This record gives sequence, C-alpha cells and structure tokens, in this order.
Amino acid sequence: MNERHWMTAKAAAAAIADGEMSPVELVKALLDRIERLDPRVNAFLLVDADAALKEAHAAEAEAAQGRLRGPLHGIPVGIKDIIDVAGLPTTCHSKIFENDAAARTDAECVARLRAAGAIVLGKLSTHEFAIGGPSFDLPWPPARNPWNRDHHPGGSSSGSGSGLAAGFFPMALGTDTGGSIRNPASACAIVGTKPTYGLVSRRGVFPLAFTLDHVGPMTRTVADNALMLGTLVGHDPLDPASVQLPESCDYMTALDQGVRDLRIGFVRHFHEADIPADPEVAAGLDRVALTLRSEGASVVDVRLPALQDFAAVNRVILQSEAWSIHSEWLRDRPGDYGRLGRRRLMSGAFMGAGDYVLASRRRSQMIVEVETALRDVDVLLCASAMDPACRIDEPEEIERTYMRQARTPFNVTGHPALAMPTGLSRDGLPLSVQFVGRYFDEATLFKVARTWERVACTDALHPFLVG
Amino acid sequence: MFAMDQRMTEAIARRAGLERALEEFPDDVVAAAISAAKVTEVIRRSCRTPSEPWPPMTVVRK
Repeated sequence: MNERHWMTAKAAAAAIADGEMSPVELVKALLDRIERLDPRVNAFLLVDADAALKEAHAAEAEAAQGRLRGPLHGIPVGIKDIIDVAGLPTTCHSKIFENDAAARTDAECVARLRAAGAIVLGKLSTHEFAIGGPSFDLPWPPARNPWNRDHHPGGSSSGSGSGLAAGFFPMALGTDTGGSIRNPASACAIVGTKPTYGLVSRRGVFPLAFTLDHVGPMTRTVADNALMLGTLVGHDPLDPASVQLPESCDYMTALDQGVRDLRIGFVRHFHEADIPADPEVAAGLDRVALTLRSEGASVVDVRLPALQDFAAVNRVILQSEAWSIHSEWLRDRPGDYGRLGRRRLMSGAFMGAGDYVLASRRRSQMIVEVETALRDVDVLLCASAMDPACRIDEPEEIERTYMRQARTPFNVTGHPALAMPTGLSRDGLPLSVQFVGRYFDEATLFKVARTWERVACTDALHPFLVG
Repeated sequence: MFAMDQRMTEAIARRAGLERALEEFPDDVVAAAISAAKVTEVIRRSCRTPSEPWPPMTVVRK
C-alpha cells in the first residue's frame, strides 16, 4: 500500500524491520496529514511533533543497525488524554486540569508501548474526565466523526476513534468504564477491545470508576488490535487490580485459524426486546451470525439479564465511585466543569451507600449469570450501539442514544469485549457488532473477529477526508 | 418516576457540600438528582439476590 496513512501497524512494522520504510518517513507523513486534516476532526488536544520526530530518528538509527526494540518498532500511537505521558500534561479534556504540570512518568501502558518500540504522536480528545461529552463548553472542542463531521464519533475515547478513522495513526490507547473504547469503535468503523478486567495496568490513568475502568487497544484492523494488546498485557504490582498470568499472551498465532467448531451465543434480546435497535444495525448483526455459521461455527440464542438492569448497576457503581474522586472539585469549582460532566458527576451525590452495596451485590450475581452462559458457548455475539452515530450538535439526540447500547454489561462483569464494524448505513455511517469472550480468552475473541473481518472486508472501510 | 422533591434535593445537595453548585447551576443539580433517582429506583426494585458484594471486583482465571 502506497498511502502511508492507511498502513496497518503490522505492515508498517514489517516494512521498517525489512528496511523498506523508515520510521521518520512514516511519522512525517502522518504529521503532515494531521496538520492538514485535524482542524476538521479535532482528534488531538496536543501534537508532540518534535518529540515524535526525535524518537523516529532514533528508531531509524536502531533499525539500520538491526536493533528492533519490539514488535511495534517505529510505529506511531495516539494516547487518550486521561493517560499520563512523561513530559506532557494530562488535561482529561477539562478546565480543572488545564494548567496543571506535565506528567513526570509514563503510565504503565504507555511505558509498555514504548518498550515495544512505539512512538507517541500526542494526546487525544476525550469526553471531560471520560464522562462529560460531547461538549462545546470545554477549553477544547470535541472530536468529530470523519465519516460525517456533523456526527458524534462516540466517546469517551473520541479522539482515538476519530484519529484512527481519519488515518492519523494506526494505533491508539483508549479507556472503557461504560463502553468508551467500544463506542467510538462502533461509531468510526474501527476495532476496539476492552480486555478482561485486570489484564492491562491502569497505573498512570486518571480514574473514572476504580472497579469498572479498563485500558485497551484501538486500531483499524483485528490483527493490529491483537498485536497491540500483546504488548500491553502483563502484571503490574502497583495496580491493585492487575492479575498475574501464568503464561505469555500470544494473540497472533491462532488469529487466522477460523471459527470451525466454535460455539457462538447470540444475545438477541439485547437488541430485539430490551432496546430495539435501528433495523440496519439489526440486519448487520444477522449478517454476522449467518457468516460465522457458514464459516463452520454453531450459533445458538443465549439469554442474559436485561440491558436496563446491567445499565443501572453500571451507573450506580460508576457514579458513586466517580463522586468519591470528584466531590471536592464539584464543591469548590463546579463552574470549571462543562455542563454534561457536572451533571453526570454530581449524580453520585444523590446515591446512598445502600444503593452502591445493592448494585455491587447484583453485580456479583450478574457475573455468575454471564459465566454460566459462557460455559455452553465460546463467544457471545451481540449489539454494541443500537443506532448509527447521531448528530453531534443535537443534545437531545446525544442524550437519547447515550444509553441505547449493550456495552455496559461487560464493564460490570469484566469479560473481554471487542467492537468492530459490520458495514455502513444507507447514510454512510458505520454500523457495528460486539463479541464477548471468556475471562482472559481474548485469543478466541480475536479469532472470531478476524473471521468476520476477512469475509466482510471491514478493514477496507475508510472515510474520504479532504483538507 | 422522580420521587425526590425540590426540598429534599436541596437538602441532600447541601449535605454533600454542593451549595455553590446549587447557587450557580441549580438546573444541573436537579438534573443530577433526577438521573440518580431513576437508576437507584431500578436497583432497589430489581436487586433480589443473596449474593454478597465482596470482593468489589475480581476476575478469576479458570
């Protein structure tokens, strides 16, 4: 592929390793595209061009000597701006942190990407504190959807999703507390994975809700997602949720083995009964189920608790934990939050300790119910978003579609979940599907996702942007 | 649906230390209270489980 900006991380890493492309060439091409097109998309809060070029020159010299740091040697990455990058401020897209000092160290996930050879291009737009958005009353504008700039790119990892779809970088880091990796993946036709809770360290990431927060990879292809996750996993003794895995996590070897003999559980009631989906979304999900069946998997219907129950548990836990983090600022500086962030974060003040405990008890039960369903099937197939992305300038539509999704269940239970495109709507907006796996079985999740991607060629979906 | 009246909303907000928000953004305080009332109502109605909440969140490799 001649267009550097649509190169996958895997292809670019191979080209760099083989001496066919220089990291400097790649970084320069992307910085040029960002300079031309980002004013239309607002994916970046800060482009760290000088540091990226310096790192690219170092990576070029190392590659010339045959010294590759890891599987991502020379590959640019964007970082959601609630994640610390040494030397850059972490603003959380909020006036609260607008003038704070730069982070002194990298978040663990950023350090792991750098150790694998990745080059940080800059900090990316988010909803304020990963919850209040899209908002036009913050120090920076919200990111826009490259498929149609009048539409929402999903959130809260908005800049990660829109920047990938715009061809600004092949990989980005996102975070997911109620669906914030999978929402932009769904809205922007990219691939986003919320890994198993505890698989990727959250140290150095500004928390939204301790027991629901996940860090994960966002890319344009399933293979890149698997490659990126492989560099992120690993025990971190300084993250209390981090798990110790007995073996290394290889997500690439089985990627193209297909789905023959796999059992897929189709959670139809999510989009057919609980929250009826847009017909084009529903048709896309049926196409995925049919395709996987024709590729050799068995597909059976599965029932889980209702989406409304999952959503209530997610919101009580999320907003209670978030209130414990934000209460002091909300008391002293309520005007420094945007309206949406202020409203959503203050909700926790009106929830009682008993509500939090009730939600936690229901959560324990929901974990058992999802685990029980996953005894009989290998992977769950269900909706991610119930609608294509709505317009970004219509607050009522944003509010209406905010909870029309099936992502929160797997923040509640901690199971790994991946969202990716099924195609485009008649209006040219991305449609999506979600796959959910057993704890720590991201490899099977990637295998199923790759099968759908291979058959449907979803990795060839790119918007047309003119600068 | 919204069981919390204006006086109760203000009382809870003041107890939480949100006097300033009450003064400067009263609509946002009310919206936050309504939103909280909606989801806590679902939780109080639907939680019929003997499960205990501890540990808060853990994932076990099988």
